[in-house]
Amino acid sequence: MTNRTSLTLYAATLAFALLGAGGVKDARAASDVASLLAAADRYRSGAGNLQVETEVKVLNRDGSTDKERRYTVFAQVQRKSLVLMRSPAEQGQKVLMLGDDFWLMMPGSQRALRITASQKLLGDASTGDIATLSWADDYTGTLVGEEKCGVQACLHLSLQAASKGVSYQRIELWIGKARSEPIAADLYVHSDKLAKQARFVFDNADAPTTVTEMVLQDRLSNHKETRVRYVSRQAKAVPEAWLNPMFLARNPALE
Amino acid sequence: MTSPERAQLPRLAWHALLAALTVIAAGAAGAGNDDFGGELRLRREQLRGNAQGPLAAGESLSPGVAPPTLSASLAEAELRGVWRAPALDLVRASIFGNALLAAERSDSGAAGSQRTTQARLNEGFVAGDFGAWQASVGKKVVAWDVGYGFRPNDVVQQERRRRLLTTTQEGRPLVEVERFHADASATLVWVNPQNANDTDDASRQGLESALATRTYVRAGSADWHAFARWGEHTRASLGAAVAWVATDELEWHASARIMQRHDAWQFDSSAGNAPVAANPWLQTTLGGAAQALLGASWTGQQQISLLVECWYDGTAPADSDWEAWLSRNRALAAFGTQPGLPSALVSAAGGNLAWQATPFATNNLRRNNVFARLAWQEQRWVLSLDALVTPSDRGRVVTAAVQWQGERLRVNAAWRTYGGPADALFSQLPQSQVGLLAVTLPF
Repeated sequence: MTNRTSLTLYAATLAFALLGAGGVKDARAASDVASLLAAADRYRSGAGNLQVETEVKVLNRDGSTDKERRYTVFAQVQRKSLVLMRSPAEQGQKVLMLGDDFWLMMPGSQRALRITASQKLLGDASTGDIATLSWADDYTGTLVGEEKCGVQACLHLSLQAASKGVSYQRIELWIGKARSEPIAADLYVHSDKLAKQARFVFDNADAPTTVTEMVLQDRLSNHKETRVRYVSRQAKAVPEAWLNPMFLARNPALE
Repeated sequence: MTSPERAQLPRLAWHALLAALTVIAAGAAGAGNDDFGGELRLRREQLRGNAQGPLAAGESLSPGVAPPTLSASLAEAELRGVWRAPALDLVRASIFGNALLAAERSDSGAAGSQRTTQARLNEGFVAGDFGAWQASVGKKVVAWDVGYGFRPNDVVQQERRRRLLTTTQEGRPLVEVERFHADASATLVWVNPQNANDTDDASRQGLESALATRTYVRAGSADWHAFARWGEHTRASLGAAVAWVATDELEWHASARIMQRHDAWQFDSSAGNAPVAANPWLQTTLGGAAQALLGASWTGQQQISLLVECWYDGTAPADSDWEAWLSRNRALAAFGTQPGLPSALVSAAGGNLAWQATPFATNNLRRNNVFARLAWQEQRWVLSLDALVTPSDRGRVVTAAVQWQGERLRVNAAWRTYGGPADALFSQLPQSQVGLLAVTLPF
């Protein structure tokens, strides 16, 4: 083998090694981001299968209440959620989400309607804000870098939607570096316009274990503040039948 | 025991069973998670009578034979309740109730203003939760199929579609058993068991005792439904439907049904074009027919949605039947306006013209229909505009509606206008325009 051939072979081997290392590094980085997202999710979702009583309050610029809604959310593994509307204005409405498939039941119809991702986003966007308790299931992300969030060090993650029907196509998320608790998020809609900015309120500021409230500031249209308060959480795996669209017309017995 | 007494027994037995189940379940009730509520509703229905059509022509010849329906104001209270019995090992039982109390006051007409009150049980049933098995006994709304403007396979409830205001319907007495899997379900319903063995004439227009089944399967982005029904006098029908989410914005749906027999209005051809002593339009059981619907809905990012459907209803009178109907209308009008005709015969002509409105009481007037609905939703507001067109006579029904939803209060307003060429069926209905204003307060 000539020197030129050896050199070429050596360069090619080195190039492949570096590319391979880069691929391994990308895979590991992706895995790290997934782990970080899962850790951040635990502050919102806790156990795998949950029943979450949620209160959503929309405040006007002067601080007065514009709208108040209550929901019962059965958030289940594998991106399955059943949302029951509890407020008088929406009493009887139900939304079922099974991965990228959605159904709506309106009071008085007694019939579940198969709806598109766009139809799910009609009207109140609260359904998406309250029913999605997992970024890891719906988003892929990259680590942008380490930044300062107030006085604490945090990690900036850039998330892209991996599922249909999510309210936000892109999320810029900041999580605590030490504990991976969610601190703030910029939420972008499909047109890549900044729709809302979120910050998270915890049960214990010094030793957070659970997000008790998510405060959303509208940056797109009405500039109102939305407070999503998680009134209670309990582990609950709903019967398989409850996640059948045809079961929506029945009233599930709540325990 | 005579025949009428024997015929009453199944109905009495049904009512006794229902009462017994209610008492038993009520005795066991008392657990938490009971749920009570309802809504109060005030509404105004404004009707503009049509100067065209057989009713108007009949009233013109014989005043009082078909006085126009008056506009009215209504106050309604809808009360809902769910009582949940304490959970047992094998079953959880619940009692569901929905009742409507209504008072109506019509505008002043020839007979003055009329006041009526109504108390109606929309739903009252006992439900048993056996895990994957579910059962219900009582009066209940069971609504099937996938369409918006028309539902060929809504074979249990048989709901009239496209009402100006969506309210809880009156359910049907039934026994229902369902089995649920993760992505499939099977339902068996015995509707109107109390009417079993009734005569055909006593069990028309949704009152027929029938067995109905629905099988549902979810396959990815599509929902598939299969239906079967066996009616006591309409016999067998089979149907299928699908709803398919094609893209993030677009959904398609289709439904089809074939039936061995169907109930419909039939004209007694022996009446010809002359006045007769009795209404020549009778509800009759006719032969086989088919129904089909194809539709799509598109929803854009600007909160605008468009729904388009076209359907065929083989149970509606054929175009040739309506041509004969028009011919009879003209003949009766010409007969009744002959100079020197005795007043009794003028009245007879007027009465017969009023009877010509009888076949309007049907789900679809024409067999072929096209429907489109455009809606825009923003915060508390929903605005919509829809049109139903019958291509065979270019008749049209156009409806504009708006809804405002507050924290509790909901306001609905709608205006519907019927029109088309003079011979179009929609141009000959008793009303030319209908308006609605409703205020609803849930509690």
